[in-house]
Amino acid sequence: MKGILRSLATTFSTFTRKPVTRQYPETHRELPERDRAFPVLLWDQEAHEPFCTGCHACERACPVECMTVLMKDNPAHKSVGGESSRRKIIDKFWIDYGRCMRCNICVEVCNFGAISMNNTWSGHEKSAYDRAELVQDLPMLLSVSRGGELKPWVNE
Amino acid sequence: MMTETLFGLPTGVDAAIRLLIVVGVMTVVVMALIYLERKVLARFQQRLGPTRTGPMGLLQSVADALKLISKEDIRPKNADPWVFELAPFLVFVPTFLGFVAVPFTIAWQVRELELGLLYVLAVSSVNILGWVMAGWGSDNRYAILGALRAVAQSISYELPLVLAMISVAMVANSLNLVEIVRQQATVPNIVWQPLPALLFFICLLAEMNRPPFDAPVGESEVVGGPYVEYSGIRWSMFFLGEYAAMFIMSLLGAAVFLGGGAWPLGEELGVGWQLALTVVKAGAIIFLMFWTRASFPRLRIDQMMSFSWKILLPASIAQILVTGGILVYNLPSGLEHTLLAVTSAIGVLFVYTAINRSVATPRPRPVVLVRRSEAAR
Repeated sequence: MKGILRSLATTFSTFTRKPVTRQYPETHRELPERDRAFPVLLWDQEAHEPFCTGCHACERACPVECMTVLMKDNPAHKSVGGESSRRKIIDKFWIDYGRCMRCNICVEVCNFGAISMNNTWSGHEKSAYDRAELVQDLPMLLSVSRGGELKPWVNE
Repeated sequence: MMTETLFGLPTGVDAAIRLLIVVGVMTVVVMALIYLERKVLARFQQRLGPTRTGPMGLLQSVADALKLISKEDIRPKNADPWVFELAPFLVFVPTFLGFVAVPFTIAWQVRELELGLLYVLAVSSVNILGWVMAGWGSDNRYAILGALRAVAQSISYELPLVLAMISVAMVANSLNLVEIVRQQATVPNIVWQPLPALLFFICLLAEMNRPPFDAPVGESEVVGGPYVEYSGIRWSMFFLGEYAAMFIMSLLGAAVFLGGGAWPLGEELGVGWQLALTVVKAGAIIFLMFWTRASFPRLRIDQMMSFSWKILLPASIAQILVTGGILVYNLPSGLEHTLLAVTSAIGVLFVYTAINRSVATPRPRPVVLVRRSEAAR
C-alpha cells in the first residue's frame, strides 16, 4: 500500500464518512453557551419582573451608544404593598442592534446581572429590510430570557 | 434486439425506432451521470451535493438542462460561423455512433458488427476533430490552445489504447464484441490481461479529458479550453458528448475486460440479468473514474506526454509482443492462460512502479554550506 494507491485509499476513507454539511436554514448547529450574539435583558422568573433596575451603567459604558434606558419607581415594591424588593425598575429600554458591536462591556458593567449576551439562534437571525426594525424595545429584549431559551452560563 | 428488424417492420422504420431508443436512452443516462458525478464527488469531499431540486436533488440535471436550453446561443463576432456552429455536433455525433456496436447483453445491441471493437475505437476518436474545430472556430487564444492540447493528448493516448485492445483481441481471437463477451463466460479477460485493462482505463481518462488528464479543459490554465466561447445549447452538447462517451467507453470496458453480461452467471441467463450485470460493471468503471477524479491533481502537459510515450506505449507494445510470443506456440490452454496472466501482471507492476517513481516526493537538494571565511571574501 504505497504511492498512488494510498491516495486512492485516503479519498475512499472520506467517501465512507458522513458528510459534514448542514442544511442551514432547516437545521441549526447547536450553539455553545459561550456564543455571543446581541445583548438581551434577563427576566427574574421568581419575582416575575426584569432584573434590570434602569441604573444606566450599561448605557454609560456602551462605546457605540446603542442603548437608551428609562427608569421608574417599581409599582410592585414592598413600600407600595407589592412583593418585590426592587425599589426602582426599568421602564423603557431600547437597544439599536444595528449599532451594537457585541463587545460584551454592558454585561461586564451590570451590577445586577440583568443583561447577558444572547446565546441562541434568535440572536443571529436578525436580518431586516429596514434599519429601524433593528431597534429592539423592552418586550423584545426580555422575550428570549422570559421564554427560558437562554442557556445558563456564568461569565467569570 | 436481434439483427432482424423489429416485428418485421421495414428497414427504414426499424432504423428510426432504434435511433430514437439510442438517443432517448443516452440523454437520460447522461443526465443521470451528471447527477451521480456531482453526488459521488460531493461524498468524496464530505459534502452533500445537490439537494434542493426535487427529492435529494434528483431533478438537478433536468433543471440544468432547462436552463441551458433557454440560454442565449452566443456566437462571437470574429468566429468562423460554420466551423464554430458545427463543432459541437462533431463532438457529439461520433460518440453516439459508438453506441451501435456496444453489446448490452449477448443478444441486445443495435447491430452486431464483426469488427465491433475496431469500430467503436475508430468512431470514438473522431470527436477530436470537433475539438479542433471548436478551438479554431472560436477565434480565441485559450480555445485554440486547449484544442491543441486536446489533440496532442488524444493522439498520444489513442496509441496505447488501441495497442492494448489488440492484445486482448489476440487472446480472444476475435474483434466481434459479442464473441469476446461470449468467451468470458467462465473467466473475464481482466484476469488474463490485467495490463491492457490498466492501460485501457488510463487511456480512457485521457481520451475523455477526465481528471487527472484534463489539461485541455483546465479552468485555471486555459479557462475551459475549447468551451470558452460556447454557451447554452451548444455548450451543453459538448457535455452531452463527454458523458455519453464516458458511458459508452465504460460499457466497452465492461464488455471487453469484465465479461459483459456473460460472466459470472453464464449466457443461458435471462436478458434482464445480463443487462443488470453489464450496467453494474459499467457503473463500477464509472465509479472508478469519479474516484480518480477525486484523488489526483491535474497533470502538467509535458508530464502527460512523457507518461504516454515513455511508459504506456512501450508497455502496450511489449504486451503485444509477449502475447503473440505465447500464443504462437499453441501451448495447452491452461498453461497458455497462466503464462498470459503472469506476464501481464508483471507488466502491471512495471507500470505501477513507473507511476509511483514519477509521483514520488523528490529528495531535497543537498545544501552547500559556505564557510565563513569564504563568505567574507
